[in-house]
Amino acid sequence: MRESNAVGYLDDKHEEIEALCAKYPSRRSALLPVLWMVQNKLGWVPQDAMKEVGDIIGVTAAEVYEVVSFYTMFQQKPTGKYHLGVCHTLACAICGAFEAIDYIKEKAGINHGRISDDGRFSIEELECIGACAEAPAMLVGETLHGNLTPASIDKILASCK
Amino acid sequence: MTVSTLPDLPALAEFERVFLPNIEEDKTETLEEYLKVGGYEAVKIALAKKPEEITEIIKDSGLRGRGGAGFPTGMKWSFLPKGAHPRYLTINADESEPGTCKDRPLMEQRPHTLIEGIICSCIAIESEKAFIYIRGEYYKSAKVMQDAVDEAYAAGILGDNVMGSGKRVDVVVHRGAGAYICGEETALLTSLEGYRGYPKLKPPFPAIKGLYDKPTIINNVETIVSVGWILKKGADWFKKFTHERSTGQRLLCVSGHVKKPGVYELPMTLTLREIIYDVCGGMRNDHDLKFIIPGGSSVPWVLPEHLDATWSMEGLAAVGSSLGSAGMMVMDHTVCPVWALANLSAFYRHESCGQCTPCREGSAWLQKIVMRIERGEGEEGDLETLRAIAGTGPNTGMICGKSICALGDAAAWPVSSALNCFWDDFEEHIKTKGCKYKNKRYWMQDDRFVNETYEHKPSWGHH
Ligand SMILES: Cc1cc2nc3c(=O)[nH]c(=O)nc-3n(C[C@H](O)[C@H](O)[C@H](O)COP(=O)(O)O)c2cc1C
Ligand code: SF4
Ligand code: FES
Repeated sequence: MRESNAVGYLDDKHEEIEALCAKYPSRRSALLPVLWMVQNKLGWVPQDAMKEVGDIIGVTAAEVYEVVSFYTMFQQKPTGKYHLGVCHTLACAICGAFEAIDYIKEKAGINHGRISDDGRFSIEELECIGACAEAPAMLVGETLHGNLTPASIDKILASCK
Repeated sequence: MTVSTLPDLPALAEFERVFLPNIEEDKTETLEEYLKVGGYEAVKIALAKKPEEITEIIKDSGLRGRGGAGFPTGMKWSFLPKGAHPRYLTINADESEPGTCKDRPLMEQRPHTLIEGIICSCIAIESEKAFIYIRGEYYKSAKVMQDAVDEAYAAGILGDNVMGSGKRVDVVVHRGAGAYICGEETALLTSLEGYRGYPKLKPPFPAIKGLYDKPTIINNVETIVSVGWILKKGADWFKKFTHERSTGQRLLCVSGHVKKPGVYELPMTLTLREIIYDVCGGMRNDHDLKFIIPGGSSVPWVLPEHLDATWSMEGLAAVGSSLGSAGMMVMDHTVCPVWALANLSAFYRHESCGQCTPCREGSAWLQKIVMRIERGEGEEGDLETLRAIAGTGPNTGMICGKSICALGDAAAWPVSSALNCFWDDFEEHIKTKGCKYKNKRYWMQDDRFVNETYEHKPSWGHH
């Protein structure tokens, strides 16, 4: 689990952010990409980062929060080192998604809540992730895994060091 | 994932696959490789024509949008107000309609065909700037597209002097962050402007007042890829396989209980029976077919008695459904229709942006009632209430036609269609306070998740 302590998360990114803003006719369009930068660095978007992002883009922290809270992928709480997003929508559901979720939770040691006891894994049930023809499917961090079976899940989890 | 190969059907003997032929799984075609097989020829063709000529070719080809609504692409382009600049092209790569997974292989394996289509489209609509809005979950698509865009800039294909023509086309790859509603065109634009992805009431349509209040054309990834191929091969080539007004090839995504789920490039001339039993190898374990959701989760369900319907816009409309986004989900006899509907109702309730009352409250009530029926806690009168909310067709019930965008309708359609198809199953759930599908296997393949004493767990949708 990663913790936030001080602001200045984006101190090393100012040049990159200005180049990004220049791509759009309006500076505000860079809001989502900049929030992604925060999340890539910390694994989530803490409140003090919303203030920092707002200052950079030129909007209030409240406006940033309004946006963060709309998009389900922006995490407002710390996640495990590996975040598992398992699809539970119809095409996956009829191919065993709920059984897969139970199996993953058991194997990853997620006994209560959404983070494993050792902080290595967190889990989230997602709506259709565009891998329906390979159902059931999940995202491990940024990587998509389809056609999940108990054996493939064992292998995937073991590779998450 | 790759586009699956087709069987040797006589009906497909002359059919030419172009979107993703002969590309190995998980491999991305580089610029160099693409140029070797005629890559960016379409741009040269487009550069030699007047913008109106390109639009005329697209109109002549009969190309209709591949994002869901099937609007004629050339006609959409001609709505742009004359002389109003700047104007933008926005590519809808939000692909979030359950059952749909075709734009992802297009972007991840042949990113340059999309860039080629974008340049041709920009020339046609006289735009110098295009945005590709890619759903947040598609990390790899965004990375591959960005790399390909960088490659194209370095080669002078994008930028201020497109292939030496003096024309300018810039492309920005933009990522979403998890919201189905951002696939709706006006929501996509508000999201791209850095706000919550709230849809806007139309009119004004984006072609008149869109991104940053400027005239904007929004097209699906596959639509724009098709534009490039039409310029390269001609409108007549595109029209060779046609059913009524459905021309050209489409990527069909098949998921669920068929032997070979996958993404298939097909003309819109086969029947549903040919698709399920010939193209996809039949039903898994030779089970009975229960129902098909033929065009993504929003469209009305189709029963086995309609297997001879043609898989085309007109063919599916004739049996009361729609081709939608070509995401076909196939259910066998083990699937409880009440359970399936509960899953979809939870999806729409979760994805409603909450701006308008009929959709926000209506989708929540639909979910609550369907779920309680599914749990065996349904009450007498529940089905009538569902009918009253969901209606029986366009502009009926409490949601359809009464909300800002079509998500409201999309939440209602599956409910009214499920009731039409499986009223008895719903009634039985209420009468017997249970589900006869319990204890049936959902999946029967050895290495898959199998549970003989499967309890229907409505474990989704609790917030
Ligand atoms: C709720 C909702 C979700 C949508 N999602 C998508 C999507 O993910 N991808 C897409 O291309 N079109 C989607 N559409 C359709 C778009 O609004 C728009 O019609 C389409 O992108 C136009 O492109 P086309 O003419 O090339 O199909 C959606 C529409 C609605 C109402
Ligand atoms: S219909 Fe639903 S999703 Fe569309 S704007 Fe209204 S509340 Fe939002
Ligand atoms: S339903 Fe699971 S990926 Fe589409």
